[in-house]
Amino acid sequence: MMMQFIYALPMAIVVLGAILLMLLSNSKITLNRLNLISVAILTLSLILQFVLFGEKESTYLFSSIFGNTFILDDFSAIFDVMFTLGAILTLLINNDYFKSREYFAGEYFSLILFSVFGMMILAHAHELVTTFIGLEIASLSIYALVAYHKTRTISTEAMMKYIVLGSMTGAFYMLGTALIYGAVGSTSFTEIAAYIHSHDLSNITVLIVGASFIMITIMFKIGAVPLHAWVLDVYHGAPYPITMFMASTFKIGIFAVALRLYLVMFAPINSFWSEILQVITILTLLGGSWLAINQTLVKRMLASSSIVHTGYLLIAISSIGLGSDLAAPAVMFYLIAYFLSSVGSFGILSFIASKKKKQMTYDDFKGFAQRRPYMAIMMSIFMLSLAGFPSTIGFLGKFYIFTAAIESGQILLAGLGIATAFISVYYYFKLIAMMYFYESDETQKKFPVGISTVLIVIISLIVIWGGIGTSLIPFVPGADGFMNFASQAISSLK
Amino acid sequence: MTDHILSIIIFLPLFTALVLGIVRAEVRLLKIGSFLSSAVTLMLVAWLTFQFDPHAGMQFVEHAPWIKNMGISYYLGVDFLSLTVLLLITLLMPPLYLYMKHEERKGYWYNMMLLQTGVTGAVLSLDLVLFYLFWETMLLPIFIMIGKYGNGMHQYNAMKIVLMTILGSMSMLFSILYLGYMHYEVTGLWSFALNDLSQIDLNAQTSIYLAAGFLLAFVIKIPLVGFHTWMAPAYGSAPTPAVVIMSSIMAKLGVYGIWRFGFGLFESTLLYYAPVIVVLSLIGLLYYAIRAITEDNLRKMFAYSSGSHLSLIALGLILTNIYAWSGSLYLIATHALASAGIFIMIGLVYKRFKTVHISELGGIASRAPKFTFFFAFFALSIAGLPGTGGFVAELLIIIGAFKVNFWIGFFTATTMLAAMVYVFWMLQRTLFGPDNSSCDFQDLNARELIMLLPLVLMLLVTGIAPSLFTPLFEPQLSLFLSDILHTLGGVK
Repeated sequence: MMMQFIYALPMAIVVLGAILLMLLSNSKITLNRLNLISVAILTLSLILQFVLFGEKESTYLFSSIFGNTFILDDFSAIFDVMFTLGAILTLLINNDYFKSREYFAGEYFSLILFSVFGMMILAHAHELVTTFIGLEIASLSIYALVAYHKTRTISTEAMMKYIVLGSMTGAFYMLGTALIYGAVGSTSFTEIAAYIHSHDLSNITVLIVGASFIMITIMFKIGAVPLHAWVLDVYHGAPYPITMFMASTFKIGIFAVALRLYLVMFAPINSFWSEILQVITILTLLGGSWLAINQTLVKRMLASSSIVHTGYLLIAISSIGLGSDLAAPAVMFYLIAYFLSSVGSFGILSFIASKKKKQMTYDDFKGFAQRRPYMAIMMSIFMLSLAGFPSTIGFLGKFYIFTAAIESGQILLAGLGIATAFISVYYYFKLIAMMYFYESDETQKKFPVGISTVLIVIISLIVIWGGIGTSLIPFVPGADGFMNFASQAISSLK
Repeated sequence: MTDHILSIIIFLPLFTALVLGIVRAEVRLLKIGSFLSSAVTLMLVAWLTFQFDPHAGMQFVEHAPWIKNMGISYYLGVDFLSLTVLLLITLLMPPLYLYMKHEERKGYWYNMMLLQTGVTGAVLSLDLVLFYLFWETMLLPIFIMIGKYGNGMHQYNAMKIVLMTILGSMSMLFSILYLGYMHYEVTGLWSFALNDLSQIDLNAQTSIYLAAGFLLAFVIKIPLVGFHTWMAPAYGSAPTPAVVIMSSIMAKLGVYGIWRFGFGLFESTLLYYAPVIVVLSLIGLLYYAIRAITEDNLRKMFAYSSGSHLSLIALGLILTNIYAWSGSLYLIATHALASAGIFIMIGLVYKRFKTVHISELGGIASRAPKFTFFFAFFALSIAGLPGTGGFVAELLIIIGAFKVNFWIGFFTATTMLAAMVYVFWMLQRTLFGPDNSSCDFQDLNARELIMLLPLVLMLLVTGIAPSLFTPLFEPQLSLFLSDILHTLGGVK
């Protein structure tokens, strides 16, 4: 019991911290202090997660009270680390940003922590209703955060769009759960998996329909075409820190639940969705690329390219169903790679945006390399990584995904993935070209040494090291190390 | 040290660039540092050549695991083919740094050092993923150099060269991944090493498709006619050092790629594409020559000339007989030297006149005799003047072509005459004739003489005494060739 309590601590700290911050939000404590407090809470949770990592076999948390709803395994532990890290990086990197905007208030920190808590539930949930609760806690916090600049029409419009569509797909999820409950008589993953194992594919139509409804919700949340209509407007309307948090962290949370569903629950009937998934993947890759090519705002370009990255991940997800051993770790690895590169690129964007109050178009980046040479180098590294250029972690991510696709026999899909990677070179290199190829009237500015910039430097070094590094240096995970984490996480699933 | 000499040769320039970048070196220190790094690599390569055993296969091999769970290894080695290109790279870098002596923009120097690491790495890698890494990264400095320091529509042209080259790279990536997977399926182990992958038995259909993936990458890089639309604009707007590297090294890497990876992996399957490549090369010979005759911009003229010579090299390569192959290898070396020379001369013309248009030049000979001599020498050695290395090489390829088919030989020989036309006509209009400009034309100074003399000497030695070099590559070349012809016999 005592051990169970300790295992629950990382999550408990986050939710208690969120409540504490909510109480503090109207006090006279400055935003800067509040930021430090929330980072401290998250860091405490992160340290505990590291201490506990690998200590335990997969167990259920307080199974006498909660039943088998919460599971503790390496898979969820790694996702917990990513969520917490994502939140810490979001808070620290945007330190300059929220000081420059008056509309930020104390609740911002509380909401971020609540959404981290929601995502943690999502990663730990081993039961459909719990999953829904986690999804809604995370989503509701994000809805509020998207409209945080409440006097700005574009933000409120984004929030309305997101909340209406999001709630509707939430209803799909509930309907799916109800159908599955009707078929199985339970919402526990274990029992659903057992039910699927013991029945023939032709006898479980209700369950398959229910599961397909759940899939629609997931596809919506990750922004797969044709359920992508909200992505651009919401990413555009939200303040930079929130866009960064959504693109990097929240998306990973959804993939956590998707992976668990596909690898644990629906493993025997995965192949049923292969064709549907393939079609969605093709649409997502092409549609996302089409959107990304046409953008002039860098934020919107990154938003639409995040749809393309969803497409790559979907390639791997449908490879899982077709029996590729490499695919599941490939998804994990790609999530790590995408997390690092997108946190870095959005971080730089929000750093620039904190200095000037307008939307950044491609043209605003003209001469950026001359004004801020170090920032430009780091932005180029992130762009190269997102484009999958070798010697960055993004290349290895794509490498694993395409190899997994070939392994599972989806050769055309792998070819299409490579073709969209080629298209992505255009819109990512365009930014590099803007930064380097034009002269600037302004003189070179000094590199601002601060917590946000130092963090961005560290992330850019990790992005490079993740692409070329070997495991020669102990304690520093290179390209090998990240993949070993991913494989360990996947193998802990049951 | 001898165990890691190839790594040192590859990474010394990158390391220098990193150190200089971290200490934020002044431009003066940067110049000294980059020149020293190129000089040291030259010495290392010279030592390597001295130790090189022409009868052994891969030498100075370095093999270490890199990404273990996918069997990707850090695998380097040098044989006659890579040694040739490696020598060219290291020979050309010091003269280029001398050429750039008055360049004050720091980024220029950093990019040159990165570029050297990129091309050297591509030449020495024997693991396909490692090769792909270097093959792509060597594009970045070129992209920045054209876009940032170029002239004309340089931003557009930089984007164009990057997109077209990456299109080729992506098709190659697909083939690499598929080959790696085939190896996994056959042996149960992941590996991307060249010698592992070359041992898998592919069925004819698959290997034809996969070979196409590789060929597309290399053919765009060369470029053969039809894949050449990036070439003239990119050469036209790139700064001189970048042009020299593109024409002398990177285009040759396309041929090198066909040689090493095309023939190495697919052997006789590649000959399935022989008719296409022969036709494209022959069209290219003629087309590029005509474009060169009508071109007014000197850089673009020699871009087309370079394309025509590379078509000839590709032709020699695909004809797969000993004469054509020796000729191709020889032409890789001599054309690299000659085109480096001519592009440096064009750069000097631009420095003096601020133009490279033939119509705006003229009357140089009367004012700058030394300049005229060097300019004419390089131009003529491009055209294959007897006494220079280019003549020997072209002769060998033409003999090889006649061995295969009379008409291919006849066509090759006659189109080579077109080179004479544009070179002589160009010389007449730029060097002689009325004085077209009012600027004060400086003859070559000592620094410029020092950087050009080695190239001239190398061209003369390769031309007068080819027998000095043939023993270096002959044994392995004929062995490689007989391997391929042997498998071909098996197919028949």
